[in-house]
Amino acid sequence: MNLVLTKSDWAKYPFVPEATEYIKTLGLKVDSLSRPEFEPILDRAEGRVKEALLTNPPKVSYLEHNEEVELSSFPVAVVIAAATADDFIKKRYALAEARRAYDLLRREDKWKVLEVAKAFGWRVNVVTDEASAPRGYQLKLHFVDFLRNVKAFHESNWKLINRVMLGGEVYLTTYEAARLLQEEIRRHIEAKLRIDVRPILPPNVAQMVEELRLIRRRRFGKVYTEEIRFPKEAVVEAFPPCIRNLYEAAASGSHLSHAGRFALTSFLLNAGMPPSKIVDLFRSSSDFNERMTRYQVEHIAGLRGSRTRYTPYACDTLRTHGLCPGEENLCRGLRHPLTYYRRKLRMKAASKRSRPADQV
Amino acid sequence: MTVDRESFIKSKFREFYESSSSMVEAPPSIEMREFGFLLFKDRVMVRHKGFRDVESLRSFLRQIVPLHAYYSAAYYAAPEEPMERKGWVGADLYFDIDADHIPTPCQKVHDVWVCRGCGFKGRGTPPERCPLCSQRRFEEKTWPCEVCLEAAKRETMKLVDILLKDFGFSQDEIKVSFSGHRGYHVHIEKDEIKDLDSAARKEIVDYITGTGLDAKFHGLEAAGEGSRVLVGPHLGDSGWRGRIARGVYDLLLKADGEHLEELGLRRNVVKTIVENREVIIRSWESGGPWGLIRGVGLESWKAIIRKGVEAQAAKIDTVVTTDIHRLIRLENTLHGKTGLLKVGFPTDKIEDFDPFKDAVAFKRGEVTVFIEEAPEFRIWEETYGPFKGEKAELPVAAALLLLCKGMAEVAQ
Repeated sequence: MNLVLTKSDWAKYPFVPEATEYIKTLGLKVDSLSRPEFEPILDRAEGRVKEALLTNPPKVSYLEHNEEVELSSFPVAVVIAAATADDFIKKRYALAEARRAYDLLRREDKWKVLEVAKAFGWRVNVVTDEASAPRGYQLKLHFVDFLRNVKAFHESNWKLINRVMLGGEVYLTTYEAARLLQEEIRRHIEAKLRIDVRPILPPNVAQMVEELRLIRRRRFGKVYTEEIRFPKEAVVEAFPPCIRNLYEAAASGSHLSHAGRFALTSFLLNAGMPPSKIVDLFRSSSDFNERMTRYQVEHIAGLRGSRTRYTPYACDTLRTHGLCPGEENLCRGLRHPLTYYRRKLRMKAASKRSRPADQV
Repeated sequence: MTVDRESFIKSKFREFYESSSSMVEAPPSIEMREFGFLLFKDRVMVRHKGFRDVESLRSFLRQIVPLHAYYSAAYYAAPEEPMERKGWVGADLYFDIDADHIPTPCQKVHDVWVCRGCGFKGRGTPPERCPLCSQRRFEEKTWPCEVCLEAAKRETMKLVDILLKDFGFSQDEIKVSFSGHRGYHVHIEKDEIKDLDSAARKEIVDYITGTGLDAKFHGLEAAGEGSRVLVGPHLGDSGWRGRIARGVYDLLLKADGEHLEELGLRRNVVKTIVENREVIIRSWESGGPWGLIRGVGLESWKAIIRKGVEAQAAKIDTVVTTDIHRLIRLENTLHGKTGLLKVGFPTDKIEDFDPFKDAVAFKRGEVTVFIEEAPEFRIWEETYGPFKGEKAELPVAAALLLLCKGMAEVAQ
């Protein structure tokens, strides 16, 4: 069975190539958007981006009874979102459209999900022999397509090792395939938004763009990413168990693997320890070479070479390289050793504050 | 009086590259690869080299005669530029299995450490501190012994099995080679895996090493809602389900009480397992032992499974596979620590591959060496040693192994 996507599917999933081809035939041009016959399309396009900014979590709605407008307003919305030249708006819009698609895909049968997936070039098949196949799965996806889209998921059921995989195909339920497609769609739209259309916008559209930028400023202000501030002196007692082990091993001159040295160095640098102190830490190592150690520490600190400061390994990566000694209570639910460190520091500070005065 | 060891090794390496550099073949898209060479002189690493064709690579090898020769698993737009300007376009998927990561009982016999402070010597893995002078700096000498290499081969076979069955690569797509020292390389050059980033490769590593496996996703569960009886995977299941079952089967078949207690199982549980071994083994004919043993609940099974998974997983070097800029030894070049070749062979011939025969580069001539100390070893069908403070006339390949390992000097 091989279904073709219909026009009403295009209205739901206007980013698939067939839909894009169809829209091209409509002769919709950026500079013609001021023409009155396109008004409904332009309105809906503005509405799509607005919804992305005004809903939380962001999601564009689906207007079932107006397929033509629903379909052709998508590329116009992309132009508008791109024209804001604001990464926050672009990201949020891409996510909102992807969540719209996921919501619709979840209600489809496996055949429809299969067709949309194929539109993105996925190597995907329907599980035909359900009797012999592992139960409950409807689709099977090439592991490379699976890995490309699973990155944002941290739940253990999404780890490749916890999936059923045979002959390079990962078995999925239709829901799971839809969820992975959400990621593919989000990236696809984000890539589409990397265009600069500002110089060719007609005045009415340019005005819309300005309004959207205003909404974003009013609603979200300037978005500050949390600046991580750690005490000037690294507090060894607040290190997570993995880093504590590595730290003690380095201090006592025991051999550390390459991955171990990297994990320790990048953690210490991010916890605010100066490179020279880290070099000193490795001094008692059996194969210590000052010049080499200094070079490597400074490289990880981003003072040399590519000038990028390396972020420390996350818990998952520490486990891969055999550097995680096993979870402590405080590790539960955490994904990064620096989060453990921050939390422990906060706990220490809190317990200090709450201590009665006569015990200080 | 001894001739300079190093100049002897280099003269032999030169002979090899002069006569046999045509054996070195171009990796696919040679013009996009970075090459690196460790030189004899001062052990300098020459990196960021690029070649347009295989002939210029071969003539370079003849000209510089390297101790080690490498190429990048990665493909670059500009391989000769510094790292940050190379322009990464992709990388082959590489696996490294090294005997160093596999504990074998013979390491205690043939691996030697020497304290850099006082020269005190010992065998096996070096201690925290030198028992004589308390220093912590040691020189380690490992040995490519048959037992260790056989253990590495077993791991390689497990890896190949996972790549074939679970990942669906074909025999021809999986390239296996002996590293020339203490292990095996396995790699895949297919287009579809080239642009996998480090995070995706990490997931592949976790799959192969069994890291993060949770048995509840592989069929270990309550027999029905609210039931306290468990069901679990079967021996014949495919993928990790089958491996879990087979790992647990082997473990329960062989483990004695002491081993089981080490898994954190309660003493009465261990006793039940040991006393009912026959029943447990027979249980695999139907549903398996999952719901069979009183007192062995979900947590105990998870501990048993963890151990079983460890035996079924392949012990690969996790860093090599996740490093998308890695330099890899070039096939059909000499390994400077042994004088043996890195050689490739077909996947289905892995069992018959004999590193001490198939990787021997020097097939003619004898040389007399003075051997300080060396364990017994074999080249082709002939066994040599063990040696201690003696002179011996050896075939060049055998002598080179000892010379490269720093265990002998050329006698004149």
